[in-house]
Amino acid sequence: MKRQRLGTVATSAVSVLGLVGMGLVGGLPASAASKVVIEFAASPIANIGLRSHLISMFNSTHPGIEVKLISEPNNTDTYRAQLVTQISSGSTTPDVFMGDVIWPAQFGHAHLALALSRYLPHTFFKRFAPGLVQGASYHGHVYGAPFFMDAGFFYYRKDLLKKANLPVPHTWEQVVSDSKILQSRHLVKYGYVFQGKAYEGLTCDWMEFMTDAGGKVFGPGGKVAIDSPASLKALTFMRSLITSGISPAAETTFQEAQSMNVFMEGQSAFLRNWDYAYSLSQTGKGTKVKGDVGVEPMPTFQGQSWPGYSNIGGWNLYVNPHTRHLKQDLAFIDWMTGVKAQTFMATFGSEIPTNYTVQKSPKVRAQNPVLNIVSKVRLVPRPSGTPAYPKVSSAIYTNINAALAGSVSPAAALKAAAQGILRATHSGL
Amino acid sequence: MRSRNPWSWVRYPATALALFVILFPFYWLVVTSFKGPMDAAAYPPHLLPHPLTLVNYQRIFAVFHFERYFVNSTVVASATTVAVAVLGSLAAYALARLPVRGKVSILLALLVISLFPGVAVISPLYVLMRDISWLNSYQGLVVPYVAFNLPLAIWILQNYFRGIPRELEESARMDGAGLLRTLRSIILPLSVPGLFTAGIFTFVACWTEFLMALTFNSSNNWRTIPVAIALFGTRFSVSKGDVFAASALAVLPITILVLLFRRWVVSGLLSGAVKG
Amino acid sequence: MTPTVRVSRTVRRRHGGHGGSLAGHAMLAPALLVVAAVTLFPIGYAIDMSLSHVDLGLTGVHLRFDGFHNYSVVFQSPQFWQSLLFTVAFTAVTVVLEFALGLLLALLCKSWVRPRGALMSLFLVPWAFITVVSAELWGYMLNGSYGLMDAVMQGLHLAQGNVVWLGTPTLAAASLMAADVWKTTPFVALMLLAGLLMIPDEIYEASDMDGAGPGATFFRITLPLLRPSMLLALLFRTLQAFGVFDLPFVMTGGGPGSSTQSLSMLAYNAMFRDFDFGPGTAVAVLTVVVVFLMSLVIIAMFRGQLTGTYDA
Repeated sequence: MKRQRLGTVATSAVSVLGLVGMGLVGGLPASAASKVVIEFAASPIANIGLRSHLISMFNSTHPGIEVKLISEPNNTDTYRAQLVTQISSGSTTPDVFMGDVIWPAQFGHAHLALALSRYLPHTFFKRFAPGLVQGASYHGHVYGAPFFMDAGFFYYRKDLLKKANLPVPHTWEQVVSDSKILQSRHLVKYGYVFQGKAYEGLTCDWMEFMTDAGGKVFGPGGKVAIDSPASLKALTFMRSLITSGISPAAETTFQEAQSMNVFMEGQSAFLRNWDYAYSLSQTGKGTKVKGDVGVEPMPTFQGQSWPGYSNIGGWNLYVNPHTRHLKQDLAFIDWMTGVKAQTFMATFGSEIPTNYTVQKSPKVRAQNPVLNIVSKVRLVPRPSGTPAYPKVSSAIYTNINAALAGSVSPAAALKAAAQGILRATHSGL
Repeated sequence: MRSRNPWSWVRYPATALALFVILFPFYWLVVTSFKGPMDAAAYPPHLLPHPLTLVNYQRIFAVFHFERYFVNSTVVASATTVAVAVLGSLAAYALARLPVRGKVSILLALLVISLFPGVAVISPLYVLMRDISWLNSYQGLVVPYVAFNLPLAIWILQNYFRGIPRELEESARMDGAGLLRTLRSIILPLSVPGLFTAGIFTFVACWTEFLMALTFNSSNNWRTIPVAIALFGTRFSVSKGDVFAASALAVLPITILVLLFRRWVVSGLLSGAVKG
Repeated sequence: MTPTVRVSRTVRRRHGGHGGSLAGHAMLAPALLVVAAVTLFPIGYAIDMSLSHVDLGLTGVHLRFDGFHNYSVVFQSPQFWQSLLFTVAFTAVTVVLEFALGLLLALLCKSWVRPRGALMSLFLVPWAFITVVSAELWGYMLNGSYGLMDAVMQGLHLAQGNVVWLGTPTLAAASLMAADVWKTTPFVALMLLAGLLMIPDEIYEASDMDGAGPGATFFRITLPLLRPSMLLALLFRTLQAFGVFDLPFVMTGGGPGSSTQSLSMLAYNAMFRDFDFGPGTAVAVLTVVVVFLMSLVIIAMFRGQLTGTYDA
């Protein structure tokens, strides 16, 4: 039954193609065409083997198409650099690529991704959870099909809170006071670990703290607004986490892996991390916190309504504008964001599905406590609507990191960040 | 004179200290590669694996297929070394023995060009290689590597050639041997240490190069060892044990090569191969 | 050295004709062509790119002449000046340290007669290390939560709590320099040792008989005679250090802040992270210009030494 539904969607996609008049792709229906090979570039998804499973499922149900996986680097910046060099020089492959949710503006602007909304009916985009399509758009066109999503979550140690008879903190102030209690009773070495290194992940963490405090990167009319009292409150708070010993001094070098490591070693009571952290903390090699981990939406500052903001992460599927097999690419994207593939990703890979039907399914929610609270989190995107976003982000994370390291004051860091963002959106470098 | 040498007594502790500093990181690399994930993150760190495990070595082959990168690096480095030896010998002989205008300028210009930062050439080269479909291929790395390593090899070899007495060539010439035959049958056999020095320099440079390999051979099947190591791990986790097991295996062949051919490398170096 | 001079001068007289010259050029040509194709052509294209507005269009890269606009963008960017400062400091500190320690190591090595070869080959171990591996390894040893160096510092009571080596600007820069010094000093030592061993013993004996002390001998004999080796090593190290990329790319990622972002990294990030090919190539070209100027200065310093050897 599912296959039938998929079939109709695929046919409708094809007919739209015909209407738009994509003569260059060839007018034959997919079933009659001889086997077409399309290359799909993707970096490994948390669970090794997920991509090849999905691809073999697709290949076995689509006799006319063979998808070939091109495994790409895990480091997002390196992966992006490779795509940029490849596509900007006119390469027809990869046909379809998995890319970060923050790429649409940059890639759309530089003609490195195809505007999918020109070729897919707008009914296609109704399958996604609210907000996702908007995040994948730039200048009125949708460039990426949301593939799986992610968000910041607040992980806590159930056993420690129980020992100290504390409820799960809902404000940052409680995180501080709880940490102090737990640390002073020598139950744990650190209170809270997050991502503080100068890299994209810090921008994510920063967006959460800043938005909780009521701050914004861009104000009305696109004016740079990061240098505000709210931001100062957030940054001063972040720095105080380190100076008070609630977060380790090495925070300024922490990416996800390092913060995860401290938490899994049992050395921190609380952790900010993405969706994958739950299953890793339960099944990862050598974990010392098995059975002791709970997850909630992020806390916020006192006086704000809970929950706090969670930054949106995740990955989209994009099409290379130079592809020679657009029809097959779209069929693949259609299938990958359909119910079958998305259910498999959520249950086998414990990724958060973008397909709203799957995301709401009780069967999927029962699978993993993180999936169960997805509907409760309050999402905030990064300011990635500008093609200059990588520079904007770099202006944010380098300066926030410098303030966390104590080499500049929070006020000076915010001023420098504002100047950097202004430069990024105007001239460049 | 030697008895008055101030080094005579300081040199024992000084040598021990120098060797310790030089070799300790190597030891730490090997030790960590035998540690499990939690052992590798233990604090204070254990000086010996506790318990010793081979799991990292199993993983880098079973999960990451490290053998593939090993083959890539070996092919690229060997092919480059051979090409550099051939082209370098020809050029070095011309510079050492034949009348060529502006020898010093040519040598210095070559040397300086080979030391230019790679970042200046990667994006134009990338476009060029895409046009001729050389991305993700062996030749796509070998040709740039040859170009960047030839200058030093020529420098080393011409220095070595000039140290060989001319009389030997004269007699070959009398017997009617041409330039190429003289080079092949007289000069090269006498220059084995020099060739080795140039060869080792080239091989090591290819084995360790990162930026071009990262840019040109990005596809998983074509990555060389440094790129593979830098891109190890899944999206959110990097196991240091995996990285160091791969690193230990990557550093091992070069170390063996250097120690095995020590005599030639050292005599090549000392016979003024790298002299000014 | 002197015999060589005489030989090559005779050669020149003997083979003055065009025939020898033709063969010489024919033998040189393949090498020169490869080098030119892979280095000079791309640098020319990069210069063109740096003077253009670069469009990443659907049909590939388009260049539109734009004068020095990219350069003015670069010169107005505080990031550029910060990177330049870091790169200059990195180059200066590592080269000076590598020379000081390398010379000590070379003298030490020379003082041993029998195991000298074995010592020299051990020196080659760090040099043959893959820089990426060395960066991973030092990053691990200097890790701020379970690093070996932290344990050492605490064991010696030099620090309380963890030292954030890679998370504070000065310590991160110092750590990168230390990792580079560890990897490259042995190479410098080898080059200097080769020079040391070429100084004939008779010269030392003569100086000894004149009653010169070890200090005077070192400054009056060893250093001047070591000049050619030192200048060549200087050329190598200065230019390589100035183009440093792998080490900060893997070890610090340019952080904390952007305090350890080298010029090469800045160019790479501008081009491949921000798609700013114009300003990015401008930074790359400026790096090459500085490298070229430095090489001219160093070569001017040792051109005299070389012309003594060659029939230039």
